Amino acid sequence: MDWSVHFPKFIPPPSSAITTDSASATATRRVEFADIGCGFGGLLTALAPQFPDTLMLGMEIRMSVTAYVDARIKALRQIQGLLPSVDGGEMSQVVREAVKEAAGAEGEDPLPAEAGVSAEDVAEDRREEAENRRATREKVPGEFQNVSVIRANAMKHLPNFFEKGQLTKIFFLFPDPHFKRSKHKARIITTTLLAEYAYVLRPGGILYTVTDVKDLHDWMMHHLSLHPSFEYIPTETLLDAGDPVLKSAMTSTEEGMKVERNKGSKWAGCFRRKEDPPMQESVLEAGVKKTRVVRRA
Amino acid sequence: MKHPFQIIVADTTGRYLFTTVKNVLLVIDLTSGKLVGQWKDELDNSDFLKKKYEEKFDKENDPKRQKSESGQAKVPKIPTPGPGAPPIYNYIRALRLSSDEKYLFATTDSDKAVVIFTIDHSKDNCLELKKRQPFSKRPCALSVDEDRLVVADKFGDVYSIAIEDDQVVNEKELTPILGHVSMLSDVAIVSNDKKKFIITGDRDEHIRISNYPKSFVIKNFLFGHHEFVSCLHVPNFDQSLLISGGGDDYLCLWRWYEGQLVAKIELRELIAPFLTDSHLPPERFLTETSPKEISVARILTFTNKKTGLNILVVLCEQTKAVLLFEIDAKLSVRHLQTISYEDNVLDMCYIEATNTLISAHDSDKNQLFQQQKFDEETNNFTPTTETMDAVAELNPIDVNSRNDFLPLYYINTLRKRSEH
Repeated sequence: MDWSVHFPKFIPPPSSAITTDSASATATRRVEFADIGCGFGGLLTALAPQFPDTLMLGMEIRMSVTAYVDARIKALRQIQGLLPSVDGGEMSQVVREAVKEAAGAEGEDPLPAEAGVSAEDVAEDRREEAENRRATREKVPGEFQNVSVIRANAMKHLPNFFEKGQLTKIFFLFPDPHFKRSKHKARIITTTLLAEYAYVLRPGGILYTVTDVKDLHDWMMHHLSLHPSFEYIPTETLLDAGDPVLKSAMTSTEEGMKVERNKGSKWAGCFRRKEDPPMQESVLEAGVKKTRVVRRA
Repeated sequence: MKHPFQIIVADTTGRYLFTTVKNVLLVIDLTSGKLVGQWKDELDNSDFLKKKYEEKFDKENDPKRQKSESGQAKVPKIPTPGPGAPPIYNYIRALRLSSDEKYLFATTDSDKAVVIFTIDHSKDNCLELKKRQPFSKRPCALSVDEDRLVVADKFGDVYSIAIEDDQVVNEKELTPILGHVSMLSDVAIVSNDKKKFIITGDRDEHIRISNYPKSFVIKNFLFGHHEFVSCLHVPNFDQSLLISGGGDDYLCLWRWYEGQLVAKIELRELIAPFLTDSHLPPERFLTETSPKEISVARILTFTNKKTGLNILVVLCEQTKAVLLFEIDAKLSVRHLQTISYEDNVLDMCYIEATNTLISAHDSDKNQLFQQQKFDEETNNFTPTTETMDAVAELNPIDVNSRNDFLPLYYINTLRKRSEH
């Protein structure tokens, strides 16, 4: 996997990684946040300036939606590159024109008609884009060089992209509820799949779930609570502590904004990745039992 | 003519050969050439469908439904699969002996069950059915950990059931110890420094190593395959090694605990002379440049008792050949011999006690078994003079023509043709 394509400002291309210096730089810079089913990328663009030194990756299975997010990030990077630094400096007429053009491109919708997204949704997203235009007006930390997106079936291929314990945060925001009972096994949170999420998440790392479907929330809470690798963090604890990530997770996705407009309810469930239990040594254990018996005698 | 034998397994003494033909299990005493054990899966698939449907109907037999039936409860017809439905073949997919060789395990397709037999050679029929444990999805691979049988299914889940316990558990109450999001193809329980692990291979290119029995902790993944994985083999001579094969042109040799790919063992060039048009992809996926596809069906290893040289034996699906390699102390792999046969090889097993490689064949002439002896001096196999044709005659399944054979080659169907 060549990450330099996704994060050229952070990771040198593999051909240049001949020297030990750049090789170690490649090794230290890794994606730490993963947004599974990132949709239109609202969370990524909200978090990027908050954690300018943290690499984050969205994973989305719909080809056209991935293309959209990719174009969105590229446009944001381009605009940021053209904007004058925060210290001031007048924008030249040429730059102003270029920014205007790039901003237009960013608002432009590369979704083809068969995107599986209704025109209404697209229209709403456009409105949200307008609200979110700040990023196109002033320079933000990181200039969106720390976010990217890939098209992938995360349920199948998560370990192909991330090493053991690589991630510090993993997001499941407004996942497909799969209402039908026969489809429950297709839900993104299941007991068996949690082992894979635990694998890529570092002990101490946090798994975030947000949904507007109570039934799905209960399902996710149930499975996560029962799983030995995760412990529940009360949502209030995180909100009281002013966790900026949870706030973004609840409000900054396109889906989350839609729920807010419709005055719907949202449920969040956050879990900390626990340390792995020590492995049993069958022979050693038998020995321990024996000594106990001897002592008693 | 006889239906070919599909799976063969021998015990360590080399005296007993355990084999399957369609839905029949046979135990053959190779010293006397007599049939000493037999079991037939009598369950018909339609019985199973019927049972399943009746259960469903029972559940729906609630007051709400009865009301609408104006007093008289209507008994719905049991649906029968239409002409377009894919055929369901009733055969045994996996066969395995326990480590002490006191039990035999097999899977049945009819009711998606695992059958456990006690083996008692003092009885007329050495196979006694101990337990028939159904699963909600079709089991397809087995492994053993001391007193527990580990079962991998086509849904991607792995279960562990007690061998000794005769109690059949309701399949809905069984909870998996781990799961993939892809069909599982093989499973193995291994240990390293007194700690146990479970290795699972799936229809994607994944090989996963998890702690055992706490299998919710994944140790690591082994990435080296691009196509499906069909065989996981841990050699007896070095349990720290894993040899995996599947739909790729090569096998992977791993130090599984370290997660290190030691070597790729190329097969294409060696097996190419034995590939036929039947190895081309199905017509609708066929292009001018489509290569003939290799699917690994069986991997075996043994040690030359005289020289200590480690030998690897590989069978590719639907070929008339078996490939022989040596694995030296530095873990470099070298081709030794290609054994060619008259008919396609369906399965093979190696008996260390007698240095014999027994193979099952897709033969029209009732030459269903072949045997070859390993020469410890030359590191080569040569055919034995005595045939196994008499033993093959014990096969109880007579068929009129090849058309009555169950599909004998199904590993390559694991190959994915489009992106998921």
